[in-house]
Amino acid sequence: MLKRQLMAGTAILATAVMLAGCAPASGGTDGDGTGTVKMVSWPGPEGEAMAKVVEAYNDGQGQDDGIEVEMVLLSRQDTFSKETALMASKSSDMDIYWTASYNVGQFAASLDPLDGIDTSSYFPVAVDGLTYKDELFALPLDVSNHFLLYRQDLIDALLADPASVEKYREISAEVLGTARDPKDPQTWDLDDYKAMAAYFSQSENPESPTEYGTILQAKNLLYNTMVWNDVLWGYGGNWAEDGEAALNSEAAEKAVQLYADIYTNKWTSPDSSQAEFPETQAALQSGSAAFAIQWSAAFAALNDPEQSPEIAGKMAIAPVPGGQTHVHALSVSLNKYSKNKEAAKTWLSYLATPDAMTQYAEAGGIPAMPDVLEANKAINPAFPQVSESIAEYGYSEPVFPKTFQAYSKLAEDLSGAWVGQVPAKEALEIANNNLQDLLG
Amino acid sequence: MSTSLDTRPALGTRKRAVAARKRSRTIAAGVLSLPLIAFAAVFVVYPLITGSMTAFQASTLFDLAGTFNGIDNFTSLFTSDGFAKSAGFTVLFSAIVVTVEMVLGFGLALLVNRRFPGKKVFFTMILLPIMVAPALLGIMFRLLLNGDIGAIPALLQGLGMSVSLFSPDSVVPLLIVLDILQWTPFTFLIIYAGLQSFPSELLEASAVDGAGYFRSLFSVIMPVLTPVLFAAFFLRAIDALRTFDVIYVLTAGGPGTSTTTLSIYIYKAAFESGDFGRAAAAALIILVCLIPFVPFIVKRIASTGMEKTK
Amino acid sequence: MTVIEDRPVTVRRRTPNRRRWLFTAIVGAIALLVNVPLLNAILVSFKPDGEIAANPLGLPTAPTLDHYANVLYASGYDFPRFFANSAMIALGTVIVVLAIAVPATYAIVRLGFGGRWIINSASGLRLLPAIFFVVPFFLLFTTLGLQDSIPGLIAANTFLNLPLAIILLAAGLRDIPNEIEEAASVDGANVYRTLWGIVLPILAPTMVAVAVLVFIFSWNDYLFALVLSTSNATPVTLGAANFITSTGIRWGDISAASFLSTLPPLVFAVFAQRYLVSGLSAGAVKG
Repeated sequence: MLKRQLMAGTAILATAVMLAGCAPASGGTDGDGTGTVKMVSWPGPEGEAMAKVVEAYNDGQGQDDGIEVEMVLLSRQDTFSKETALMASKSSDMDIYWTASYNVGQFAASLDPLDGIDTSSYFPVAVDGLTYKDELFALPLDVSNHFLLYRQDLIDALLADPASVEKYREISAEVLGTARDPKDPQTWDLDDYKAMAAYFSQSENPESPTEYGTILQAKNLLYNTMVWNDVLWGYGGNWAEDGEAALNSEAAEKAVQLYADIYTNKWTSPDSSQAEFPETQAALQSGSAAFAIQWSAAFAALNDPEQSPEIAGKMAIAPVPGGQTHVHALSVSLNKYSKNKEAAKTWLSYLATPDAMTQYAEAGGIPAMPDVLEANKAINPAFPQVSESIAEYGYSEPVFPKTFQAYSKLAEDLSGAWVGQVPAKEALEIANNNLQDLLG
Repeated sequence: MSTSLDTRPALGTRKRAVAARKRSRTIAAGVLSLPLIAFAAVFVVYPLITGSMTAFQASTLFDLAGTFNGIDNFTSLFTSDGFAKSAGFTVLFSAIVVTVEMVLGFGLALLVNRRFPGKKVFFTMILLPIMVAPALLGIMFRLLLNGDIGAIPALLQGLGMSVSLFSPDSVVPLLIVLDILQWTPFTFLIIYAGLQSFPSELLEASAVDGAGYFRSLFSVIMPVLTPVLFAAFFLRAIDALRTFDVIYVLTAGGPGTSTTTLSIYIYKAAFESGDFGRAAAAALIILVCLIPFVPFIVKRIASTGMEKTK
Repeated sequence: MTVIEDRPVTVRRRTPNRRRWLFTAIVGAIALLVNVPLLNAILVSFKPDGEIAANPLGLPTAPTLDHYANVLYASGYDFPRFFANSAMIALGTVIVVLAIAVPATYAIVRLGFGGRWIINSASGLRLLPAIFFVVPFFLLFTTLGLQDSIPGLIAANTFLNLPLAIILLAAGLRDIPNEIEEAASVDGANVYRTLWGIVLPILAPTMVAVAVLVFIFSWNDYLFALVLSTSNATPVTLGAANFITSTGIRWGDISAASFLSTLPPLVFAVFAQRYLVSGLSAGAVKG
């Protein structure tokens, strides 16, 4: 009996060890400059716009170059996980990775620097955000930032009605300590944001037309750290000062406390502890919230009568209260282990031209080239606003290798405090220590 | 239990034939197991070895070379509280859902185990939740339970109840209920199938007088059904301990880390932090902690009778 | 209705008809309850985008097939191919799992091969989070050229489902009396003939039950498919996730895709329902 067990075990082990000997070959090659280039992308406006650019290239210049670009779409939630797995295995499967300014540092070890590509047409801030250890590791493609999306009709009604104004003064006095007059959202600061959240909540103001003033994105998710960062920066805080983690600042505490106050006073839905982009859309679409800090890409769907019949035409757009918005660029990078680098670079050089980015803008993307945005106002009226907000209000979080981890870690450490589960100071202390570790 | 026949007194003349048969049976055993051995060698042992090696390496996205770093990955797991906390949550979560699913599955099996109109259709319907991919089910829940556009909150509000399913106090019970809704059908199926080996008269007859029903339940049915119950328990428990999809989609482990399961912890270690060494070490610890329970349970599911055929 | 009442009710008429209907009502309610998410998805899949948010509870006021059109062709994704991939992966896994597990389980249970530790370790494997194997599998598949291929995903799903199959088959085999095989063997049949001609027919219901469960679980796999497929072998679970976009979730489309993706396992289970129960019950009673 034992002998048979041993035999079986040995046979299995022997085969496995033999197999373990043959590790996959690694290290990329330049290729002959032609052939198929495989590129990762994600579904949504960026992917759809890119698909059009790819199609045009394959039918046009691609023929001359002898290159065919093939897009591989991965769902938004899985794209970076999949790429992480590919990189961990030094895969040559993909020639071009989908990256972003928040993770290019983390991915850099698996990417080739992009020298020799003309980047003069891009926003300098976008190029800087993709530069790591003095080398450019990605080409900016699409820019994302935040706006305050609000119900123009409700604000107009408030401003026009003296009784409402009086009510607002009363509530703001209660919330802020001093009475305020209601203002145009274009000029809100974070105190206005807070008082308005209270005014438009039925918990504070039974006559409010919406159940909740706003909706917070407080789920434990790295993208929600980016939204909260607007508030942090708006209060004058920062992740780090001179390389030292600085989340023990008063500004950081105020920023967490603002979230916690809004949450615990029910000026946002109790469900917003698990809210992110889609939930924020749902709250605005159903008319249960009056305004929200939300991603730039959300606006189109909210004003589309097909998708949002209840509120289409009533939505307006303003800079984030406090005057600061997170900005990141989605980008494309060259896989270090690609077997066809020359061809991939030819395609990337094409993408870096204003012509290609004009096509991209025409197909619904928001390219990171100021001149292209300026020239194509007709396509998307929001372009100048994007351009302006990036120039005037945009900030980028510090770029260090573990930026991506820092976003995740901050969401994990702070999401409890955002919804009042943990005292702000306590959570920030933990977050600050963890951030310090990640800063290295 | 069948009585063993191969100790049958061999007639002297057939002694050699018996020996030959025994040898051919040994060869057959090897031949029949060959596919399993080959498959296991390539797709189980090799990944197991490389995966275990990773647990002792500094293997991150920043440094994929994978240099040996001893037990660093393990010490980092035990010095930060994230791993222990997620282990605690996972065990608690699994214990609750598996217990409830066993009880409900058993009860449902007893309920369905009789003749009534429409049985065939409803039986299939009850099994439906098993057939929905958990990853997609999570997204379905996200819509169904959304406070603004979901059907359940709309229904509850229509009934005059103000609810917030996702608030920090209610999110854990919510996740438990969702798991129970999806997986009670599985325990039901296994236990119901087990019940089919009882004459239905026994169950139906005893159902008429209530007290006798429960007495026969515990004295007759339960003991015989034990292997089935263990099979249902085991198959469900190992999956509950790996719970990932629905929770990840709904809460991503939050608020804070309050709903982080071990699978979510490992997923984040690998794909958000890019720290494959730590992820592999965590998985290895789980394996080492759970392996001792396996023989204990398997013995109760499949007493294979091999003792008598050696 | 009449069909049921006309059905010759056998000798046991102890439970009056009214009580039987009571059970219909209770079990029916439970069947509805556990299917609320799926039923909701079906409703949502027929609602136009604007109505999904505006009318969460009611029936669609202006039903549309747009979402199904998006899933099947209009969105630019090749869903028919995703379905075909899933079908090939699930069926292939069923075949490979049975081809490996049936003879091996027989060898383990009846011929004493390897002892119980094989069953133990096979079941133990299922305890490891799949993530543990993701990177090793990726490396392995790249070496073997199985990356992004149907055979590759069949191998991965076989790996995931072998434990379940071995446990259930072992329980089923244990129930077949040894005497039958002994008799065959005395008649001169060798092991292979006994297995093929005598054991397999008796074991068939269990094999069908295993096949159904393996089909369902491999049809629903997500994580391995995510890592091991890129475009050629993408299954429908992964394809459906493409409706999670960078500007939100397309609720209607993903609901339609989810509903469609549950149909094949459902059909499979309905046809095999009789064996599903009898096959799983085989291992129940041990003397």
